[in-house]
Amino acid sequence: MRRIGTVAWREFRHTALTKAFIIGAVVLPLVMFAVIPLVPMLTKSTPKPLTGRVVVIDPQGGVAAAFETALLSKDAAPRDREDPFGGTVDVQVKVERIADAGRETELRKEVGDGALAALMVVARDDKGEKAEVLVPSASSPKHTRRLESAAREAVVRARVAGAGENYDRLRELMRSERVDTSRISPKGDAARESTELRMLVPAGFMFLLWIAVFTSANYLLTSTIEEKSNRVMEVLLSAVSPMELLCGKLVGQAAVSTVMLAMYGGVALSGLGAVAMLDVVPPSHIVWLVVWFPIAYFMVAAIMASIGSAVSDLREAQSLVGPAMLALMVPLMLWLPIVENPNGALAVAFSFIPPASPFVNVLRLTAANEPVPMLQSILAVLVGIASVAALLWAGARIFRVGVLMQGKTPTPRELLRWIWMR
Amino acid sequence: MLATPAITLHDVHKRYGATHAVRGVSLQVEQGGVCGFLGPNGAGKSTTIRMIMSIILPDEGRIEVLGATALDAKDRIGYLPEERGLYRKMRVAEFLRFMAQLKGLDRTTADQRIGSWLERLELPGVSRKRCMELSKGMQQKVQLIASLVNEPALLILDEPFSGLDPVNARVLTREIRGLRERGTTILFSTHQMRTAEDLCDRVVLIHRGEKVLDESLASIHRRFDPRAVLAEPMSDPVQAGRAIAAMPGVATCAWSDEARALHIRLTENADARDAMQRMLQATPLRRVELRRTTLDEVFVRLVGGDESVLAAQEAAGD
Repeated sequence: MRRIGTVAWREFRHTALTKAFIIGAVVLPLVMFAVIPLVPMLTKSTPKPLTGRVVVIDPQGGVAAAFETALLSKDAAPRDREDPFGGTVDVQVKVERIADAGRETELRKEVGDGALAALMVVARDDKGEKAEVLVPSASSPKHTRRLESAAREAVVRARVAGAGENYDRLRELMRSERVDTSRISPKGDAARESTELRMLVPAGFMFLLWIAVFTSANYLLTSTIEEKSNRVMEVLLSAVSPMELLCGKLVGQAAVSTVMLAMYGGVALSGLGAVAMLDVVPPSHIVWLVVWFPIAYFMVAAIMASIGSAVSDLREAQSLVGPAMLALMVPLMLWLPIVENPNGALAVAFSFIPPASPFVNVLRLTAANEPVPMLQSILAVLVGIASVAALLWAGARIFRVGVLMQGKTPTPRELLRWIWMR
Repeated sequence: MLATPAITLHDVHKRYGATHAVRGVSLQVEQGGVCGFLGPNGAGKSTTIRMIMSIILPDEGRIEVLGATALDAKDRIGYLPEERGLYRKMRVAEFLRFMAQLKGLDRTTADQRIGSWLERLELPGVSRKRCMELSKGMQQKVQLIASLVNEPALLILDEPFSGLDPVNARVLTREIRGLRERGTTILFSTHQMRTAEDLCDRVVLIHRGEKVLDESLASIHRRFDPRAVLAEPMSDPVQAGRAIAAMPGVATCAWSDEARALHIRLTENADARDAMQRMLQATPLRRVELRRTTLDEVFVRLVGGDESVLAAQEAAGD
């Protein structure tokens, strides 16, 4: 145990107590946590007012007046006024209507020169009025959106008026109403429904697990390769057995992984807490994450450690990491169908197939569109633990042989042979 | 009561696929003294040493180290492998402390010993340096300290002199002698026969996975009885040579420019002491000496390239 502890501490110290790790895994999440709420504030700006002359070529009349009303109205269409970066455009323009379509070329040139803030050309065909808006090349996108919005409204107003209807009345009748949905728990508690969040929370949990596990498993892979390529492996094996070395490395990187999970998870929870949305993460989600985290870590770590022991450099490792990564990418590729239907055949099947099972189970258990049967969850955990035991056993056998091997990269078949080698 | 042997190998075999790397090696190394583990490249030395260290397991046979398995005795063994390595980014003292703690030393003891060894091996001021900043020779010394820091009862050195300059080789020789005097059992493999001859009390020679020699150095010198005598005549070497060549028991006598003396080979049955006395009586000689068989010659004789030729030479008394 002493030797395992010493190896584990070295592994942890030389991974987690380095500048790169502290910046990447500790400082960065904290900075993100501090900066994210500030982003809208920092990017919010008061747009420049839209000024100058706007000419409308409207031979029949009817659209120009509606355009002027819509453009100068403070009550422009809400969709156009809502801007994630904030700010309503203040419009201070003079709208002129001309009926002579022959002046279009001359006015287009004025737009290009910047003498006109915009030119709107109204035409009519068998379907009714239609409009084209021309703006100078340096026009602000906010100004363009405002002009387009007013032009759309003006054309529709003209069509409605042509049909003998009242535009304002129709608009009032067609106004979209907000509908609030709440979910009622078996105990009768109501919680506001948010479809987006219900999709994102499971993905968040799975990515959290994935990042924590993969970052440290990758460190394990590279540190094992480094020990082989630096020829320090045999020096280590003079003091510890291969099994003690492997256990120490696994434990050390498990601590690294736990730090990552705690940091990123803590920041995410604090963020949700800051916007009063902690209710989207019930305690059971966290319990399941804690249950599946060690299973996921030891599964992936056993694979990475055995690959690291079998190769001499990172480039060689890629040929063996590829197939393992493919299996581990399954939950990333299937998260949407699994979250949509957590008790579907696909989700259930992958819940029992390592090494994807921990990630799929976390997706299913946090999706909560419908509860996962408890017996199935317990069975999946037991299968996961058995898989970890089998992978660790095989990984240790490969590690024991691989750490002293130099030269050509073994094939997957040779790796299997190493498992049974004395 | 007899002390437990430092190393016991009993009929040990190791195969790598079709290659039978170690073939039924049995060996007992008693505690104390220096045992040289010799053999040509690919003879199975490093494989045997790795099995002694329990880094790899034998396919057949039994190995005991200090009365236990090497796994149980690791804290009492020091090992300098042939393929040496360090954590490049670790600082020297930190690396040595890590190795010492793996061997069961507490931090205070480890730091004291590390300081003392760095001084003894003439590595002052390197403790805060990163391993990658050291020269190759310095790195080798650091690796040697890593194998010595636990004050091992058994020290196994695999090619310890390889890559060392003469100054550092002398430092290492001095330390090996010092350790032997303090009672440490030392097993080391080398290609350098002169070094082995200087340091070893006993020699084990392994060839093609089999042990071909296992004797004390004194016994080897006795067994490989010298057939050559060097005589430096005080008068005309040609005349002296003729006189000696005519004596009974002398097979050949020729002038050696290299030795600046007559190189005399005796016949198989001749008594070297009698022959030398007769030479002194026959002609005035400044010196006459029995040429000691070197380990190098024994090595070449036992494992040299074409064994049938060597056997034929021996039969001819050459």
